Amino acid sequence: MNLIVLPVILPLLFAVIMLFAWKYISLQRILNLVGSLILLIVSVLLFTTVLSDGVQSLHLGNWKAPFGIVFAADILSSVMVLISSIIAFTTALYSFSTIDNERESFGYYPLLNTLIMGINGAFLTGDVFNLYVWFEVMLISSFVLLVLGGTRNQLEGGIKYFTLNLISSAFFLAAVGLLYGLTGTLNMADLSEKIKLAGDNGLITVISIFFLISFGIKSAVFPLYFWLPSSYHTPPSPVSAIFAGLLTKVGVYSLIRMFTLVFTVNSEFLTNIILIVAVFTMVTGVFGAASQNEIRKILSFHIISQIGYMIMGLGLYSVLGIAGAVFYLIHHIIVKTNLFFIGGLIQKLQGTYELKKLGGLYKVYPIIGLLFLIPALSLAGIPPLSGFWAKFLIVKAGLELQEILVVVISLFVSLLTLFSMTKIWNEVFWKPAPKDNPEISFKHFTLSKKIMIFSPIVFLAILTVIIGFSVEEVFQIANQSANELLNPINYINKVLGRF
Amino acid sequence: MLFFVLLGFITAVLVPLIKKISDNFLSWIIPIIPASIFFYFASFYYQIADGEVIKVSYSWIPSLGINFDFYIDGLSLVFAMIISLVGTVVYLYAGSYLKGDTRLSKFYIYISIFMSSMIGVVTSDNLMTLFIFWELTSISSYLLIGFNHEKESSRYSALQALLVTGLGGLALLAGFILLYITTGTWDISEINKMPAEVIGSSYFFLIVIFILLGTFTKSAQFPFHFWLPNAMEAPTPVSAYLHSATMVKAGIYLMARLNPAFGNSILWNDLLLVFGTATMLFAAVLSFKQTDLKKLLAYSTLSVLGTLTMLIGIGSDLAIKAFIIYLIAHSLYKGTLFLVAGIIDHETGTRNIEKLSGLRKLMPITMIIAVAASLSKMGIIPLVGFVGKETVYASVLELPIFGNYLIVITILANMFVVYITAMVGFRPFFGKLKSTPKNPHEAPFRMWSGPMFLALSGLVLGIFSSLFLNKLINSSELGIISERLNIPVKLWHGFNLELLLSTITVLLGLFLYFKREYFLKFVASFSSVKFVQPSYYYQFIFDGTLSLAKYITSKIQNGYLRFYILVILLTTFSLIAYTLHTFYSFNEINIGGSVSVYEVILAFILIISTLLAVSAKSRLAAIVGLGGVGYVIALFFLIYSAPDLAMTQFSIETLTVILFVLVIYKLPKYLSFSSTTRRIRDIIVASFAGLTMFFLVLVISGTSLTSELKEYFIAESYPSGKGLNVVNVILVDFRALDTLGEITVLAVAAIGVYSLLKLRKKDN
Amino acid sequence: MNLLFAVMIGVLYGAGFYLILRRSFVKVLIGLILLAHGANLLILTVGRLTKGNPVFVNSGTDATAFADPLPQALILTAIVIGFGIQAFALVLFKRAYKTAKTDDLDEMRNTDLSS
Repeated sequence: MNLIVLPVILPLLFAVIMLFAWKYISLQRILNLVGSLILLIVSVLLFTTVLSDGVQSLHLGNWKAPFGIVFAADILSSVMVLISSIIAFTTALYSFSTIDNERESFGYYPLLNTLIMGINGAFLTGDVFNLYVWFEVMLISSFVLLVLGGTRNQLEGGIKYFTLNLISSAFFLAAVGLLYGLTGTLNMADLSEKIKLAGDNGLITVISIFFLISFGIKSAVFPLYFWLPSSYHTPPSPVSAIFAGLLTKVGVYSLIRMFTLVFTVNSEFLTNIILIVAVFTMVTGVFGAASQNEIRKILSFHIISQIGYMIMGLGLYSVLGIAGAVFYLIHHIIVKTNLFFIGGLIQKLQGTYELKKLGGLYKVYPIIGLLFLIPALSLAGIPPLSGFWAKFLIVKAGLELQEILVVVISLFVSLLTLFSMTKIWNEVFWKPAPKDNPEISFKHFTLSKKIMIFSPIVFLAILTVIIGFSVEEVFQIANQSANELLNPINYINKVLGRF
Repeated sequence: MLFFVLLGFITAVLVPLIKKISDNFLSWIIPIIPASIFFYFASFYYQIADGEVIKVSYSWIPSLGINFDFYIDGLSLVFAMIISLVGTVVYLYAGSYLKGDTRLSKFYIYISIFMSSMIGVVTSDNLMTLFIFWELTSISSYLLIGFNHEKESSRYSALQALLVTGLGGLALLAGFILLYITTGTWDISEINKMPAEVIGSSYFFLIVIFILLGTFTKSAQFPFHFWLPNAMEAPTPVSAYLHSATMVKAGIYLMARLNPAFGNSILWNDLLLVFGTATMLFAAVLSFKQTDLKKLLAYSTLSVLGTLTMLIGIGSDLAIKAFIIYLIAHSLYKGTLFLVAGIIDHETGTRNIEKLSGLRKLMPITMIIAVAASLSKMGIIPLVGFVGKETVYASVLELPIFGNYLIVITILANMFVVYITAMVGFRPFFGKLKSTPKNPHEAPFRMWSGPMFLALSGLVLGIFSSLFLNKLINSSELGIISERLNIPVKLWHGFNLELLLSTITVLLGLFLYFKREYFLKFVASFSSVKFVQPSYYYQFIFDGTLSLAKYITSKIQNGYLRFYILVILLTTFSLIAYTLHTFYSFNEINIGGSVSVYEVILAFILIISTLLAVSAKSRLAAIVGLGGVGYVIALFFLIYSAPDLAMTQFSIETLTVILFVLVIYKLPKYLSFSSTTRRIRDIIVASFAGLTMFFLVLVISGTSLTSELKEYFIAESYPSGKGLNVVNVILVDFRALDTLGEITVLAVAAIGVYSLLKLRKKDN
Repeated sequence: MNLLFAVMIGVLYGAGFYLILRRSFVKVLIGLILLAHGANLLILTVGRLTKGNPVFVNSGTDATAFADPLPQALILTAIVIGFGIQAFALVLFKRAYKTAKTDDLDEMRNTDLSS
C-alpha cells in the first residue's frame, strides 16, 4: 500500500521539479496547481481506503516495527491529510491573483510544497523522532514563507515566530531523547504498549509535560501563543491563510495523538491541566480578538480562542469530547482559511486591513458580504453551519461530564466571537465608506484573476454549508475517529505489524 | 410539511432570480408565498380543532437524535397561522413601502428567511431543530434591524439585539442539552410527558435558569427589554412583523410549549409571574414620555409580552384561555397599528407624535383602520381585544393569594396601554392639521389593504368568538397544560366585575391621555435617572468587557520577546517541577561509571566557554566561547563511541563560527540592555530550568534500559543493511525518511538564505 | 560519568535559557545554539554512555558492549537540521538588523501592538 507515503513524496517531488524550473514562474504556477490537484485526489483515495478498510500502515524500507519508521493512517490522520490537501489546493488557486511576481521568483511555490510535505508527514508518521523531523521541515518552510519578501513587519513578526517555535523544537527534541532513555523505543504504538506495561514512576508524566508544552506552543495555547498574533498578519494573504488553516492544527493533532495513544497513564492529572489551559486559551484569545481593529489580527486571535475549544474537547477525554475536537478541527481549518482568503480579497479591493479605513463594501458587492457571512457565522457557531455542530458536540460533551463552569465560559466566549465577527461585518460591509476612500472596484482584475480569487472562497464556503447539513456523515467520521483514538488497539496492531 | 416550513428559505434563494425580471414584479408576486403557507396551515384547522395532533418526521442526524420532527397542535397552529397571515400582509405592504428602493430584494430575502425560521420554531418537536430555527430568527432580525446600515444607530441597535438574544440563545442551548441529558430525548412531546423526571432532576434549577434566560431575552422581558424599543430602527414592516407580531413571541411560545413539563414547579411559575408582571408594569410606565409612534408601540408590545408571560405563570385554565385569546388579539391589532404608524411615517415624513395631528380628512381609510385596531387594543366591545382583556382580568382575579394586588398592577399597566393606543390611534387623526415634512396623501392600496384586513379580522373574531376561538380553545390539544380546557369563549358575559374593571381601565387611560402634559413632568424626572434603566447596565457590561479585553491583551501580547520567553520557561519548569514533586519518588541515583581527569578538564573547558559565550562583552568573544563549546562536545562524542558525530559536529561547528563571524563582523559594539535586577531574575529562572534538566538527565540515565532497537540494529546492520557502520546504516536505511526530511530542511534553509539576502520589499 | 554529563547539560541549558531571555537578538541566537548543544548531549547521555566502543560491527565485540547507535543517528540528524536553521537565523538576524537599525528586540514591538 504505497498510497500512504504519497502525501509526503508528491509535494517533495513537485518541489524538486520546481527548483529545476526556478526561472519559469508560470510553469511553477501550473505545476503547483497540478501537484496540489493530484495530492487532493490521492488524499481522497487514502481517506476512502481508511474508511472502508480501516487503519493503513506502511513499514518504510520494509523494516519491521518498531525498528524502522512506520507510516500509519487512521481516520484522524487521513482526515487531516485530506483537509490539508484541500487547503493546499485552494491556496494554489488563490495564489494566482494575490502573490506578487517577486515572491514567486524567490521560491514561493517550492516552499508551499515543502510546507505541505512537512505537515502531511507529521499527520502520517507513527514515530516520534520522525515527527520531530517533519515538524522541522514544516517549520523551516514556514519561517522562509513568513519572511519571504523581507518587509520590516515580516522580519519583526518572523523573529518572534522563529524564536518561540525553536524553543518548542528544543523541548520536543529533549523530550524525545528522554523518552527514548526511559523506554528504549521511538515508535508511538510501541511506546504506548511499553508505557502501559511498565507503568509510570512519575517520569513518564514529567516527559509528557515537555510534549504538552512543545505541542502547546505549536498549537498556540495559553500562555504559550505569543508568536501567533505577532506574526500571522505580516505575510501576504495566501501565506497567512494557509498558516492560519494548518500550522496550529498540526500542534493540536499531535496533542490529540500523543495524549490518546502514548500518555494515558496519568490521564486525569493531564486532562485537568489541558482543560484549564483550554479555558484560558478560549478566553484570552477571544479577548485579544475583541480588542483588535485590523481584520487579520482579529482573525489571528480567533484562531487561539478556537484552539481552546479543540483542546477542551481533548481535555474532556470522552468519546464525544474527542469527536467534538476532531469535528472542530475539520470545520475550523476550512472556515479559518476562508476568512483569511476573504480578508485578502478585501485588502486587494481597498488596499488595507484596517477597519477604520474600510467600509461600504456591502452596498457595492453584496455577494462578498454573503461569502463573508457564511464562514463568519460558522465561526461564531450559528446553526446550522459547521461551527455550530462543532460547538454543540463539545458543549454537550462538557455538560455530560458536569463541567458546567467550563461550558458556561465556552458559551460566553462564543458570544464574544459573534461580537467580533459582527465588528468586521459592521466596519467593512455595513458602515459607509470613509469619505476620501477611492472607489471600490475590480478594475485591476482580469477575468481570470477574478475567477481565481473567487473560486477558492466559494468552494470553501460551499464546503462549510455542506458540512453543516451533512452533520450525520461528518459526525460519524469524527465519532469513529474518537473511538479509534480512545481504543487504539487496531492502530497499534497495524503499526507493529501484527494482524 | 418540510416543503412549507422551508419554503421561505427556498424563496430567499429564488428572490435574486425573480428580481432580474423587475423589482415591481417581485413585490407583486412574492406575497403568494406567505399566503400559500397560510392556507396550508389553515387546512389543518378542522383536524386540529377536533383534537387531533399532526406529527411528521424527516430523518436528518439520526445518530445524534436530531431530526426534522414536526408537531402541530392548537398552539402551533395558532402561531403558524398568525406568522403566515401577518407575513402576507407585510409582504404586500412592503412592496409599496419600499417601492423604488434598490434594497427591496434584500428585504425580501431577509424576511423570507425569517418567516421560515419562525414557522420552524413553532412547528418543531425536536429541541435542536427548534433551536436552529430560533437562532436563525435572531440572525435575520439582526440583518433587518440593521437594514438602514449606513446609519450608526441602526448598526448599534442591530448589534444590541443580536447580543442580547444571542446570549439568551447560548443559555438556551445549554438548557436544552441539560434537558436532553435529563430525559434522554430531544422530543418536546416526549419531554412534556415526563414532568416528574424533569422537575426531579438535579439539573432542574440550571435548566430553568438557562431556558428562561433564552425566552426572556427573546421576548424582551425585564430586565432584557431594552433592545426592543431600539429595534425600532428597522423599517416599519419589520417592526410590525418581527418585533411585535411574531419573533418576540417566540420566547412566549417556548414557555407555553414547555409548560406541561415545567408547569408544576413553583420555581418556574413564580419566575414567570414575577418577571412577567414586572415587564408589564415597567414597560407601561416607561412608555409614557415617548413621543415616537413606533417607540410608543414598542413599549406597549413589551407590556403585552409581560402580560402573556404572567398568564403562563398563573397557569390556570382560565389563564391559558386568556393567553390564547390575548395572543391572537394582540398580533392582529398591534401588527395593524405598526403598519398604520408606517403609513403615517411614509406619508408625512415624521413619526413624532407632537408634530402629527388632524390627518383624518387626508387619510380617511387609514384613520378607520387605526381606530378599529385601537378600539380592539383598548378592549372595547365587540372587538376581539375586548374578549382578551376580559379573560385576562378574570384569570387574575381568580388567583387565590396575590389576586388582589395583581389586579391593581394589571389595571395600572393596561391604563398605560389604553393611553398609548389613544396616542397612536387617535391623536394623529384628530384636532387641527399640522404641517409635516412631506405632504400627506392617502396610502396606496397595497399599504392599507393588509392592515384593513387585519383590523376586520379582529372584529370578526370578536363578534363570532364563540364560533372560531371556542372550538380551537376547548376541543383542540392545546399543549400548554396537559388537560383539555372546558371554558366557553363568548363575546358577552353579562355585567360582571371584569366588565367594570375593564371600563375603569379605559376611563383611567383616557384620563391620562387628556392630562398628559400634567403627568409628564413627574415621569420625565423619574425615567431620566439612568440607573433605573437596564440599558445602562448593558452598556456598562459591554464597555467593561471590551476594556477588560483590551487591558488583558495589552498585558499579555505586549511585544516583548523576553517576556514571552520568560512566561514560557516559567510555565514549563514550574509544571515540570510540580509533576516531579507530585509523582516521582526519589530513589537512589546512579551517577554512572568513573571519569578520567582529562574528561573533567574538558568539561571544565566547556563550562568556561559557555560562561564566556554568556557574559562576553563583545560579539567576537561570545563566538569564541560558542566555538569552544562546540569543539569540546565534538571531543566528547569522540570519547564516547561516536566518531561520526564528532566529525559532523566538528565540521559544522567550524562552519557556524565562520558564518557568525561573516555576518556580525561589521556590526557596531555589543550593547548591554538589561538592568541588574532583570539579570538576576533571569539568572534565577535560567538556573532553576538548568537544574531541572540536570536532575532529569541524571535520574533517567541512571535507570536500567534494555533497548530491543539497539540489539536489532547491531544484528541486522550488516546482513540486511550491507553496512558495518551501524549509525550510517540507520541514517541511510533504517531511518532513511529522517534523512530525507533533514536534507529538505537544508535545501529550504538555502532558499531562505538566498531570498532573505536578495528580496527586500517594503511594507505598504 | 552520568553526573559529569548531567552537570554539563544543566550548564548548557541554564546558559541557553539565560541568553534567550536577553534583548539582543545575537544573544538569543547564541542561546538557541547552546540549547541545541544541550539537547544533543542529553540524547547521548540518556541513550546511555559507552566509552570507546563505536558501533562498527566487524570489530567483533559482543553486541551489548557497543554504544547504542540509535541516539547517535538521532543526534546526527538533529545537528544537521540545527545547522540549516542556524544559517537561516543568522541571515534573518542580519536582515532584521539592517532594516530596523538595531539589535534591540524591545524596539521590535510594532507587529504586536493593536492599532
